[in-house]
Amino acid sequence: MIPIDNFLVLSAILFSLGMYGVLARRNAVLILMSVELMLQAVVINFVAFAVYLNPETFTGIIFAIFVIVIAAAEVGLALAIILRLFRNRQISNVDEADLMKW
Amino acid sequence: MTASLEWGLLAPEFLLAGWAAFIILIELFWGGLGKERLGWLAALGAVAAGGLSLIWVDDATQFGELADINDYTTLFRVFFCGIGATICVLSARYVSDRLLHPGEYYALILLAVVGANGMAAAHELLTAYISLELLSFSLYVLTAYAKFDLRSNEAGLKYMLLGAFSSAFFLYGIGLIYGATGSTQYAEIGEVLSGDTSDIEWGMYLGLAMMIGGLGFKVAAVPFHMYTPDAYEGAPIPITALISSLSKAAGFAFFLKLFAVAFLPLIDDWRYFIAGLSVATMAVGNLVAIQQRNIKRLLAYSSIGQVGYLLLGIAALSQDAASALVLHMIGYAVTNLAAFTCVILYYNWTGKEEIEEYKGLADRAPYLALGLTIALFSLAGMPLFAGFTTKFILFQAAAEQDLLWLAGVAAFFSFVSLYYYLIVIREMYLGEPEEKTRFPTPWLGYTALTALIAGVFLMGLYPKPVFDIVEDGTNTIFVSEELDGGEDLVGVP
Repeated sequence: MIPIDNFLVLSAILFSLGMYGVLARRNAVLILMSVELMLQAVVINFVAFAVYLNPETFTGIIFAIFVIVIAAAEVGLALAIILRLFRNRQISNVDEADLMKW
Repeated sequence: MTASLEWGLLAPEFLLAGWAAFIILIELFWGGLGKERLGWLAALGAVAAGGLSLIWVDDATQFGELADINDYTTLFRVFFCGIGATICVLSARYVSDRLLHPGEYYALILLAVVGANGMAAAHELLTAYISLELLSFSLYVLTAYAKFDLRSNEAGLKYMLLGAFSSAFFLYGIGLIYGATGSTQYAEIGEVLSGDTSDIEWGMYLGLAMMIGGLGFKVAAVPFHMYTPDAYEGAPIPITALISSLSKAAGFAFFLKLFAVAFLPLIDDWRYFIAGLSVATMAVGNLVAIQQRNIKRLLAYSSIGQVGYLLLGIAALSQDAASALVLHMIGYAVTNLAAFTCVILYYNWTGKEEIEEYKGLADRAPYLALGLTIALFSLAGMPLFAGFTTKFILFQAAAEQDLLWLAGVAAFFSFVSLYYYLIVIREMYLGEPEEKTRFPTPWLGYTALTALIAGVFLMGLYPKPVFDIVEDGTNTIFVSEELDGGEDLVGVP
């Protein structure tokens, strides 16, 4: 059986890639994609822990399913807001959304 | 394992969710009702749900292994429903003047209250997470609700993207903690951690740090506060009030319960981390607030400062500190709503929200100016008002836990905060108004303001009744931690 470490490392790499994407990208849609990557890393983590450490309960698996569902809802919501901004101002880059500054 | 579920325990949440659907349908099929009355109807639903949750006073039972229904839950259910109802009433005029689609607006407020209730009630992390997202999603949409207002769009975008980013961190933290302890139940995590902790891996601590980061975002603690001023400024004003009271209070209800039940055994590891966050939050919130020109941004930074005081209660976590924290949170929410009531009423008349545009308000609307003055003094922690009493109890609780230096820092920043509140008060009382005409009296708004101000005085002068209720509530989370394992699974008759 593949050791659990492999899954955890994969998940950590995915999470870091997602985090890099969020911090480095300018386009709101691409930032959203990077956040999705991070959430998928979380899902891998949960499933790996559920299968390897706690095979008799389903907590981790159920958690993973809920994370997937909520991630889908998140995308719908975020795209609607991004679309709104694009219709009103023809921009989709976050650094151009700068009406308010501290 | 087949735990039979007693669905009746969640009746207030069902009522709120059902009422939300009902409001949308009413708006659709009965256009003659009018936009303002829709707000009152929504408030009625929230009040009814709050009243319904009183059935479980002094009860201690569980819904499956998912949610606790005890005094802590009841306290927060009533509190959150109260906030929701107040916001609905305050929105009535604003929404009918300035926003489209009032049905969905009120429905989303009610759904946010459902999420907040769930966060306070949660018995394990999955329930807490889903409730947290329900609250957050409602707030994202509400923040961007003014469709054609560019600032509202932008605020929604920033809030949404940063919120999603932070919840990914939060989830990764939950994942690591689940991996380290093998459970998502607060009590079981606490049990594992209170045993031999020498073989717990560093992943556990990384997970804890990530969870604190995610929670810090929800309650707007520095350095996770970057979205706050923008979201507050761009959102419709009643929604700003909702974010600053409901979202924060729910975040702390969850924070407190999680840390009291699950992570208390590790307190020495995270105490100084939280204390550091607390100092940073107080410093940034209060110092940046000084240079703000917009009243919404000013209140945003002042609310960040208040989060610093509340984090102090977490750093000093003990039963006394927990009661003090909840008391301060309630006092803060009432005061903050009073301040926002004034801002909303002024905006309804004039559409202005810059601080210098408040000049001469005392001549044009004396009662409003008085109300705002009282609210701001209370936020600054002046004696007579809620802010002083609750802060005093909170700092005292911190001092008892050997965090006197932290209480000292907090008291210092309370003085700093007085400065920027006084700027607003000076504009209102000493500035010359541009026109002399009096504003028309909004009876409903003034009634709400009077009730909130009465609350501020009540908590400032005679806090004992509220304190007793709060203490009953926080008792349950500390007692259940000692007795866990001995409880029944469900309260099946």
